[in-house]
Amino acid sequence: MNRAQKISLTLVITFSLGLLLGIAAIVMRRFDVGVWKVAVAFAVAIAGSGGIISLFFFRKDKDAITHDERDKLIEKNAHLAGFGAVYLYVILMSFLPIGILGEEASIPVTWCPGLLIGAGFCQAFAQSLAILIQYGRGGERGK
Amino acid sequence: MANSELKNQIRRLRFDNGEMTQQQLADKVGVTRQTIIAIEAGKYAPSLPLAFRIARTFSVPIETVFHYEDTDAGASRQ
Repeated sequence: MNRAQKISLTLVITFSLGLLLGIAAIVMRRFDVGVWKVAVAFAVAIAGSGGIISLFFFRKDKDAITHDERDKLIEKNAHLAGFGAVYLYVILMSFLPIGILGEEASIPVTWCPGLLIGAGFCQAFAQSLAILIQYGRGGERGK
Repeated sequence: MANSELKNQIRRLRFDNGEMTQQQLADKVGVTRQTIIAIEAGKYAPSLPLAFRIARTFSVPIETVFHYEDTDAGASRQ
């Protein structure tokens, strides 16, 4: 497993956990159970921890050749997947409030930076997932 | 559109060349071992320059290392 795969796996795991906790927080708020703000804080902390873990624990590979044409192609496709995911996210976030809250409703402007952060997470998640899928399993088999 | 497959003889050629390891071949052609594994398994079609470098490493023509098979046609072209 190379560095890109390790980082991607970490991000996918932490983002998935963060997403699950985020959904739990929404459910807690909806049904008024527990302290939903604590769940939100944990969700953001766990999702954010992926980047910190990647930064400090996954140093550059020491092999002579760490990056080649296949890695570049995988990276390019992953960037495209990330861009596509953000595009879908923007479409969804543009229409979802109308569908949920109705045409006459209004949303606080403080949501806007949150949507931007969400787009960042969405891009990183889709990119990481695309990297893992393209490298596939069992990449280290054989001698 | 026809399904096509790029078959290769890298594994056999490595063993014919003093049981060369995937890492040794990777170092010689300037790619990672993961890429050699993917090419051998037919999961990745290398670029033309890389294919030539691999063939040159084994001192054989490129057709000896790679051959294209059109699976829909049912006949292999070598």
